[in-house]
Amino acid sequence: MGPRALLIGLPLVVIAVLALSAFWVPGYRSADADNPERAASLVLPSSADPKILNPILHADTASGRVVDLVFEGLLDLDEDLALRGRLARSWSVRETAYLVVPPAATLADGTHVDAETLRARIEAHAAADPALRESLESVVVEPPQARLTQVDLPGDKPARAMITWQLPARLRLELAAVDQDLELRLRPLLGADYGRDWPGTAQATVEPAELREAALARPGAAPPPLLEHNPTITFELRTDARFHDGHPVDAHDVEFTYRAIMDPRNLSPRTSDFEPIDRVEVLDAHRVRVVYRRLFSPAINAWTMGILPAHLLDDEALRQEMERRALSPAARERFGLRDSQFNRAPIGSGPFRFGRWLPDELVELQANREHWGGGPRFARFTVRTIPEPLTQEMEFLSGALDLYTPLAHQARRYRDDPDLRTHAVRSRGYTYIGYNTRRAPFDDPRVRRALGMAIDVEAIIEHVLYGEGDRTTGPYPLGTEWYDPSVTPLAHDPGQALALLESVGFRRNAEGWLERDGKPLAFTLITNNGNALRKAVLGIAQDAWRRIGIQVATQLVEWSVFLEEFVNPGQFDALVLGWSMGVDPDLYQLFHSSQTGPRQLNFVGLRDDRLDTLIERLRREYDRDAQRGLAHDLHRRIAELAPYTFLYAPRATWVHDPRIAMRGPAGDVQPLRPSRSGDMFFHLERWDRLSLAP
Amino acid sequence: MLGYLLRSLIERLVLLVVVSVLAHAMVHLAPGEPSEVDPMNPRMKPEDVARLRAAFHLDEPLHLQYAYWVRDLATGELRSFKDNQPVLPRIGERFMNSLPLFVLATLVIWTLSFPLGVQAALRRGSRFDRTTTVLAYALIAIPGFFLAYLVIIAAVQVLGLPVIGMRTFGAETAPLSVRVMDRIWHLALPTLMLAFGGIAMLSRYARAQMIEVLAADYVRTAHAKGLPAETVTYRHALRNALLPFVTMFGLMLPGLVGGSVIIEQIFAWPGIGRLGYEAILGRDYPVVLTLNLFAAVLTVAGTFLSDVLYALADPRIRLR
Repeated sequence: MGPRALLIGLPLVVIAVLALSAFWVPGYRSADADNPERAASLVLPSSADPKILNPILHADTASGRVVDLVFEGLLDLDEDLALRGRLARSWSVRETAYLVVPPAATLADGTHVDAETLRARIEAHAAADPALRESLESVVVEPPQARLTQVDLPGDKPARAMITWQLPARLRLELAAVDQDLELRLRPLLGADYGRDWPGTAQATVEPAELREAALARPGAAPPPLLEHNPTITFELRTDARFHDGHPVDAHDVEFTYRAIMDPRNLSPRTSDFEPIDRVEVLDAHRVRVVYRRLFSPAINAWTMGILPAHLLDDEALRQEMERRALSPAARERFGLRDSQFNRAPIGSGPFRFGRWLPDELVELQANREHWGGGPRFARFTVRTIPEPLTQEMEFLSGALDLYTPLAHQARRYRDDPDLRTHAVRSRGYTYIGYNTRRAPFDDPRVRRALGMAIDVEAIIEHVLYGEGDRTTGPYPLGTEWYDPSVTPLAHDPGQALALLESVGFRRNAEGWLERDGKPLAFTLITNNGNALRKAVLGIAQDAWRRIGIQVATQLVEWSVFLEEFVNPGQFDALVLGWSMGVDPDLYQLFHSSQTGPRQLNFVGLRDDRLDTLIERLRREYDRDAQRGLAHDLHRRIAELAPYTFLYAPRATWVHDPRIAMRGPAGDVQPLRPSRSGDMFFHLERWDRLSLAP
Repeated sequence: MLGYLLRSLIERLVLLVVVSVLAHAMVHLAPGEPSEVDPMNPRMKPEDVARLRAAFHLDEPLHLQYAYWVRDLATGELRSFKDNQPVLPRIGERFMNSLPLFVLATLVIWTLSFPLGVQAALRRGSRFDRTTTVLAYALIAIPGFFLAYLVIIAAVQVLGLPVIGMRTFGAETAPLSVRVMDRIWHLALPTLMLAFGGIAMLSRYARAQMIEVLAADYVRTAHAKGLPAETVTYRHALRNALLPFVTMFGLMLPGLVGGSVIIEQIFAWPGIGRLGYEAILGRDYPVVLTLNLFAAVLTVAGTFLSDVLYALADPRIRLR
């Protein structure tokens, strides 16, 4: 055979083999719903592969979706994002408060009291105060004691110091409900001068003594405040919950999960959520009490996180895993929860058990029929990793995916398709234009409002999002109870915007540009590169502002440069960005004046006393109705201050075959529906595949 | 020859060290941080970020970080930031997934390009030549991802055949023969997509080289001797035209790591290119650096191979 024949023949043979293999391919027959194996599974796409399947370690959405099905928290969120019990059958929130009785304490009426007398006086005072009478259950004298605090000193040579506070006698007040105004209620009795010099009179000894200054300056080193609030939550666990290996879930698993999060070796990204906890106490096999250091109502939401099985992950279990895997000494030294194979094949107590994970291909879960809730109807739940939207669409149209989210411009086409069902769900995020309120002229709320009025947000939603978004007016996710629907969006009115700018001293100059005191109104609007929507907003805003005489330059910057050079140091005029919000109404990090430093999230530099008070009150409030009122006040205040021009909350549209439907409690068939809060998979356990569309 | 090999080997090792130092500096000095240390996660406090940075040694001077990386790589203890899994086995696994794509595509490119180029050169200006020229430039000009999209749509919508990933989803229970053929079919489209671009490029080079060589005196002499046309073109001419390709062949090796990123991404192929792409996006330094070193080793090995092949192919070249 000559070289020519070889050069032509060999590739042709290869190509022929590759092409002819098509005749053996099972085709989509095996992948679509007519195959009984396939019909029993629900298949979804994911654009990214999960990273780590552990509820205390994961930080990405792809892992989150899987982890939430395999694991189960003490609580979860119901349709309206209110808490409801999962592993916890019930829970109660109470408070223990400690009032320091300084030596020679003086009350409002001038009498000197010791702890015992003050106790009697408080009981008498409470009997007269209706709110206190209801909540105060008992007052107990705690004798003087020493409190030990250990602080770690970072730096070139990390050190550890032990601080001992000599505390005088204190009164322990047991309250049936958390009361952030307890101090106010006691004030008439105690008087304004009570404990005024506390903690100046407190005695501290530091070991080793030479570290005294440094140690006392650390956060957490302070002595307890005059009135210390310790909210406590007692969880009653269900007795019929089991991990997928059959081991019952009990209070020790809860305590273990907490310890695992707080263990610095595990590098859990959830540490901050659990930091307000002072201790977790196991009362009995199915009761746990969580004691918090201070008032921080959003902290309870952290218990929606999955509970880990202690018997598979405690030190003994990890040691056995090291033996089994015959790790090298170096690996043993660093071995921790993060390294365990558990994170690749997790065992939880949720409605689905882990099946298999082919990296960058799929994760498969199986129904846990032993689940206390009965488990899902689908036998399997598969998440396939398909990075490209186009290939996702192809797989969906061929039946190899049961549901998927098309791109915004495709959503309308699917909505009009009579053979498919669509659900538009709101995301908990929004996009905004933020103004650097440290810089003139953005330091004036009227200017910020005028800039917002100049932009036609409805047109952005229509033309950039293809209608797949909703106008938003404030910092909370649309449709949640924190969002105040009575706040009206800024009307699109360039004339009004111009008038407002003229009222603060801007005039059009000869060339038609706005200027004040000879200085033109000119600034740069920036956003990160790689987000087509934000880039479009950038152009639209620039055009809208130019029309009323503002000289706007725009700049697209790579994400990490955007953060490091512009956002973190606060070196920008205005930017287009988005937030994805959590479920609690806490806005401390986004808008509190203490959070305006470098690398903090109030990078627009907003400072407002009223806002600060509202934010602080809200995060100390435990009553949901009161929280809602405060959140609405906050929403209105932020809309007034307009640090951002709130633009839109995007919607995601899910498309699916109508034969996937929901079964009611009696087996009756209902069409699929997302939760009111926008969670498509809220009713997942009730989903089923029918032979006919309902 | 042996002296040359030894000296060249040492030189290349030094080069690898230099490359790894430079790459390490560049990766760390480039803006951005591992996504695990994401400062835009509102729940993370500065203390948490500091803790993570310390755990990843990101708070230490660059030369120490480099030393840690080398130590961990040498002892096989190198772990990904992403999930704490060892880096080397993961790279090995992905490498094996990408290897068939690379081997098959290379095979097709490095065979088919030559007859195409030779024909075009022999029949310069003919209809065949003009057609292949237009086709080749079209394939070079059309972005690979776009062509891949078209091919996927055609395969799925017209032929009704699954093409995504390494195997058909849901066909695990099929008989072995079907599963084997299925794997081969899933190789077909990504391989051909990779091969098209390569053939377009390489056949142009082959054509240019052949045109030059065909005009040479010894070709005319060979024809005058009365040798069959095929022997003249494929034995005498092509062999000489091949010389510059020896260099290209060696330089092709690093394509193993980065050559198929786009195709792997579109076809949802769990290959090494996608691993690298995602590691770069997530600033997973251990994976990025190790893959980079791997690519550097392949490049160095490729040039080395070229040198040796040159010496073997061209008697005028002596390695000393």
